[in-house]
Amino acid sequence: MFACIHIPGEAALNSELLALAHEFSPEVEEAAVNAVLFSIDGLRKLIGSPYQIASEICRAGYARKLKGNLGIASNPDAALLLARNCTGVTLVTTGEEAEKLAPIPVTSLFAHKATLDSGLLEVLRRWGLKTCGDLAALPETGVAERLGNAGIYLQNLARGKIDRPLHIPAPVTNYEERMELEHPLDLLEPLLFLLGRALGELCKRLRSQSRAARILKARFTLEAHQLEAHQLEAHQEYQCELEFPVPLDESHTLLKLLQLHLERHPPEAPITAFVLRVEPAEPRRVQGGFFLPPTPPADKLQITLARIAGMVGKENAGTPQLLNTHRPDAFQMGALRVGGIENAETKEPRQQEVLRLAMRLFRPALQARVRVSESAPKNIVARGVKGNVIRAAGPWKTSGEWWASTSWIREEWDVVLDDGALYRIYREVETREWYLHGIYD
Amino acid sequence: MANTTCFVRAAQLKELHEPKELLSLSKLRFLKGLARGAITEITGPRSSGRTSLALYILAQATQAGEVCAVVDLNNNFHPESAALAGVRLEQLIWVRCGGNAEHAIRAADLLLHAGGFGVVLLDLSEATPRVLNRLPISYWYRFRQAVEHTPTVFLVCATSSQCKSSSTKRIELKVKAFHWTGAAPFLLLRGIESEANLHKARAIQPQILSLVA
Repeated sequence: MFACIHIPGEAALNSELLALAHEFSPEVEEAAVNAVLFSIDGLRKLIGSPYQIASEICRAGYARKLKGNLGIASNPDAALLLARNCTGVTLVTTGEEAEKLAPIPVTSLFAHKATLDSGLLEVLRRWGLKTCGDLAALPETGVAERLGNAGIYLQNLARGKIDRPLHIPAPVTNYEERMELEHPLDLLEPLLFLLGRALGELCKRLRSQSRAARILKARFTLEAHQLEAHQLEAHQEYQCELEFPVPLDESHTLLKLLQLHLERHPPEAPITAFVLRVEPAEPRRVQGGFFLPPTPPADKLQITLARIAGMVGKENAGTPQLLNTHRPDAFQMGALRVGGIENAETKEPRQQEVLRLAMRLFRPALQARVRVSESAPKNIVARGVKGNVIRAAGPWKTSGEWWASTSWIREEWDVVLDDGALYRIYREVETREWYLHGIYD
Repeated sequence: MANTTCFVRAAQLKELHEPKELLSLSKLRFLKGLARGAITEITGPRSSGRTSLALYILAQATQAGEVCAVVDLNNNFHPESAALAGVRLEQLIWVRCGGNAEHAIRAADLLLHAGGFGVVLLDLSEATPRVLNRLPISYWYRFRQAVEHTPTVFLVCATSSQCKSSSTKRIELKVKAFHWTGAAPFLLLRGIESEANLHKARAIQPQILSLVA
């Protein structure tokens, strides 16, 4: 059974109504302006019959000085229609909805559901239908043939036969944890203990809402008198933001990633307070497969990459991405997209018939001293490489991006030295300097 | 054992102006049988095709949907060559160690312990003998333990064998010839011919690898 309280003609009483409804049920739907719906099924053992429940609601409303209508029916829509169109208390037992709704004008059905096509009302008026009882009495097949789904819905509404759950708005969850410390902390270990507790709370909240953390923002308040005067304004707070390729909901993974970040970039003064905030996102859902190739667990991979990045630098660990240019050795390092890996199509490897000759580059290119004879290099000396040229192919002239600072003009040669290796060397046309670019291997 | 770099004398290089018939890689039995959960070494001098062979293995793994990693001691990895060899770069983690051997070893250790990688390549090809000789042999035992019972192929590329008894296979490459087309001075590099020998496994005849530029 559902109860609906409606206060006609009044405005801005929603909060009062909600408070009244919450006295009887934790799940309340704000059905319309000044109208609330809630279930009274759980009150039978506490209060008694629907009549006693109605009496109790009226008493609580009187105590709050609210004057309105109360409708009680077996489904929410019937209760709402009764509360909006019948004065006082209307209680309908199961099976009597159509009878009680019959005198209600058809126009109120359209006020009940704003999305209904108002053209239908004109059609019903032309048919001579004035009340819900008139509409309910029509044959179902005829209504369906002439008005379609909207007609069937209207007729069921007029008969009080639409059963639906209440539309309960999801509670707004605060994904933020803050902590004021009694004493400033300058060691990471005790701080991690507190951070772990805060992250545990956040992850519990995330999991209760079936969410995971996409971004973790941490803000630390630093002890002011430990900072230099010129640092006071800019560095009173220490902030960091960790963005995860895969949303995480394990507190120990988040804590480890935060720890690695703090070890790399420690705050400049002891910490007196901190605020942790996570941005929620849909968690990763992956269908595993017996025959799928193995992939590293996402959380473990992120910790591993963070550890490696902490050791070799963030710019030295990642996924290479080729740039859309002809410039030699044009690439950038990007973050590994774990989601992309898991969705990567797995197909039988294409058997190549030949091995592609690969290059190994010297970064930066090694400056070389090259002796040239008859326009071809004859002898090369560079760091770690020295020898006479026994065969050379070139020069291959390349240039590009003359409009930018990354422009290049060079003459490239493929040379075999007497050490048995095949190198690529080039000469900068502008500076006429020689460089050892790489090795064919 | 001291690390030695295998140099091939220029006089020994047999240069051909016309390429030979290319051998099918499917005939290279040892490529099909790379052991998972074990260390495989690829050794050879410069231009012997170590990188090409390693990229071929990475390409096979990434095309099968596996995630792979390259630990690059001297920042020599060329992403464009990898892409041309068929490696799916979006499934590859590249760690540049800037010549720091300790970082390279630690990064490889972390990756192996993370688990789930198809191939982890530790590239020590341009490391000097001085750097290689400093690596304690206990590292390779540790790597063998870490990779054991995992689906990972741990590849080590170097000029000479480093892992000693910890590796289960070693592919030794020797450059045989460079192929050019055209007549001097208008030559064009067509490829390299290398000889591949498999050690520590069933004895098979040396295979000829043709690397096409």
